[in-house]
Amino acid sequence: MVRLITHNLLACHAKGCTSNNFPLQLKDVQVELRDAEYNADFLRGFISRIEWPALVDAARQLGDTSLPNEPPEMMDDDFLQKLHHVLLEIHIEEGAMICPNCAHVYPISNGIPNMLLAEHEIG
Amino acid sequence: MGQQYLFWFAQVHDDFRIPELQSVAEIHGFDLHIPQDLDASRPFCILELDHEEHARLLARRCILIRSVCEFYARGSTYEELHERVRQQRPRWSCYIEDTSFKFIVTAYNHTIPQARQREVVESFSYMDFLGKIDMKSPEIIMTCFEEYPDKHGTTRPKDEGDGEFKEVFFGRLIEEGSARPLVKKFDVKKRLYYGNTSMEAEISLLMANQTLAAPGKLIYDPFIGTGSMAYTTAHFGALVFGSDIDGRQMRGKDKQPGIIRAASQYGVAHCIIDLCTFDVTRNPWRCGELFDAIITDPPYGVRAGAKRLGRKSRQDKEQPPTSPQNIAFRRPDDQPYIPPTKPYELSSLASDLVLLARYMLKPQGRLVFFLPTVTDEYEELDVQSMLCDGMEIVANSLQNFGSWGRRLITIRKATTEHFAPPSFEQLDNVAHIPAHKDFREKYFQGFKKSDVEQISELSDQG
Repeated sequence: MVRLITHNLLACHAKGCTSNNFPLQLKDVQVELRDAEYNADFLRGFISRIEWPALVDAARQLGDTSLPNEPPEMMDDDFLQKLHHVLLEIHIEEGAMICPNCAHVYPISNGIPNMLLAEHEIG
Repeated sequence: MGQQYLFWFAQVHDDFRIPELQSVAEIHGFDLHIPQDLDASRPFCILELDHEEHARLLARRCILIRSVCEFYARGSTYEELHERVRQQRPRWSCYIEDTSFKFIVTAYNHTIPQARQREVVESFSYMDFLGKIDMKSPEIIMTCFEEYPDKHGTTRPKDEGDGEFKEVFFGRLIEEGSARPLVKKFDVKKRLYYGNTSMEAEISLLMANQTLAAPGKLIYDPFIGTGSMAYTTAHFGALVFGSDIDGRQMRGKDKQPGIIRAASQYGVAHCIIDLCTFDVTRNPWRCGELFDAIITDPPYGVRAGAKRLGRKSRQDKEQPPTSPQNIAFRRPDDQPYIPPTKPYELSSLASDLVLLARYMLKPQGRLVFFLPTVTDEYEELDVQSMLCDGMEIVANSLQNFGSWGRRLITIRKATTEHFAPPSFEQLDNVAHIPAHKDFREKYFQGFKKSDVEQISELSDQG
């Protein structure tokens, strides 16, 4: 759990933290790989929602260097398979995500990230 | 011009039948014309479809379909029925020569004695079927249904009123409803992980159909709780995201989160994309237009009230909001910090949910959720008034519990415009006060106005 697709969609939302709040930095993470069902149509439809550099960086931090710096124009099966693996098969089980701007720590335990804010962080 | 088909529905949730048919037709991309005067409270209905394949597709996905037949005739008496069946001869004459067959005679709200079942079968002898009778695996099954009025709750001899049916229907069976057994598969009691507010299997499946769940779709439950609807939407192939303000609900007691354990039981753990702990009114989503559907059963307070981050206003007066230093100081080292929460009133939750859906859904995406309401006070405006620009009602089905009920609301995002995320601020000047406002209080007061006053008087004295 906490697949990279999720990491790519979460930004720090503490009060007043509105810039440089994405992507969250990964810290002390334990990773597991698990197979997921491949669906090319889903990937093609979802690619427009991805922040590409953030995904490539996160994958490289976790030791996966299969993705190019820019999304290719031709989305062939070979590329989609790599994207599938990075988005859906790498799971962060333990560790934390840290806001690059306000340094808020979002801990991950048993694969579930705690994104709750403290009282002084809500508007 | 299409062919007519006879649909036989399960004896439950009649208000959900038509919306489910329409949703499943939409999943498979064909049009379904529902006649204006159709009485969906009856267990049999006749619909015109362009292809027999469409009837099969409906029977394989609709939870409420028991079977679908090619429709030949209906009548208020057998004389009437037989006359019309004779007129339909061109439709069934192809089975006369050499087709193995059997007849089924059955009734709704009644059990027909075997002797009369035989009589009925014999009364169709004019059809002159020459093929052999095969009770095990016939090539065709002819079905005759008698519909009786509801005699529920009366004590009577078993055969009383036999033959006094409202109407009788006749057709050739083309498909048994094969989605209906899913109700057993997803039975909450046999699930490895569930809670006291888990949604029952049948309704979870009906909700999943309303979302148009299918492979390649991404669906979000912002109050996922113990995940009841995640399993059914994932079963139909969708990928599911879940969040909840209370992580304990999603986790359970074991190391592996409870929702993942139950999802593994159903073979869909890989479809649960992620579970996150956060308050949906303070959510970390980086952008909108991510999901094909939002499915949820908001906690409305009978067993568990909805909560959002913040303090109850009364406590504010007694103790000022704590500063970060104080929080750190008061908390024991081994305990994670748990922020305070306050109740989330149902009518603001419902309107917020529609605004959230407009932001988070892709165009044509659907919001499917339950809204509890007070039976005597409900008016259509209650649902209309929680809509916002670009969002339109697709279906509104009542599950009636007597003095209260819950409505399964399906809303479509009928716009391609982009919208800002909702502010989740409470509105003070609401033009219309819906019946579901302060539902929790009304529920515990038994939905009686006079009692409400008495209770408040008593509490004033105390």
